[in-house]
Amino acid sequence: MSARHVVATVLLFAGGSLQVLAVIGLVAMRDTYDRVHYVGLASIGALLIGIAILVRESFSLIGDKAVLTGVVLVVFGAATVHVTARSLRIRERGDWKEGIEQQRQRSPRGGGRS
Amino acid sequence: MNEWEVIAAVLTACLVACAAVAAFASIADALVALEVGGSLASATLMVLAEGLQRQPFIDLALTLSVLSLLGALAFARMLEGEL
Repeated sequence: MSARHVVATVLLFAGGSLQVLAVIGLVAMRDTYDRVHYVGLASIGALLIGIAILVRESFSLIGDKAVLTGVVLVVFGAATVHVTARSLRIRERGDWKEGIEQQRQRSPRGGGRS
Repeated sequence: MNEWEVIAAVLTACLVACAAVAAFASIADALVALEVGGSLASATLMVLAEGLQRQPFIDLALTLSVLSLLGALAFARMLEGEL
C-alpha cells in the first residue's frame, strides 16, 4: 500500500464523514437558519473527496474534473447559502433590511447579538 | 466492495435523510435539504466514478453540481414571494 493510497483513503473518509455530519446537522437542527449552515459543510466534504480522487489519479481527466466539481460546490455553494438566507428573510419580513436599524440603535458599536 | 463503494453507499443512504427532511419539513427547510442533497449526489457520483472506474460519471457529477446550485438559486428566488 503506497503513501498516495493512504492519503487518498484518509481524504475520502474525511470527506465522507463531513458529509454525514452535514446530514446529521440538517436533520437535528430545529431552525431553518441553523440548518442552512450545513450546506457549506457538505460542500467542503465534496471538495475533500475531489482532492482524494486527485491524489489517487494525479492530474488526469477524472482528477481535474473531481477537483473542479469540489471547487464549484464550495465557491457557488457559499453564494447559494447567502441567497437562500436572504430570500428567507425577505419572505419573513418583506424586506431583508427590516429590523437592522433597530438592531444598530440597541448596540451602537455593531457587535454581537442582543 | 472497495472503500469508494462503501462511501458511495453511505452517501446514498444520507440522501434518504435529505429526502425525508424535504418531504416532511417546511418549504424553507426543504430548500436547504435540496442544497445539501445536491452536494451529496455530486459527491456520490464522484466516488462512484473512481470506485467503478467509469469516467463518464465524473461528467455527471460536474454537471449536477452546477445545475443543482442553479436550481437552488431559482427556488430561493421564488421563495421570496408566495409559494
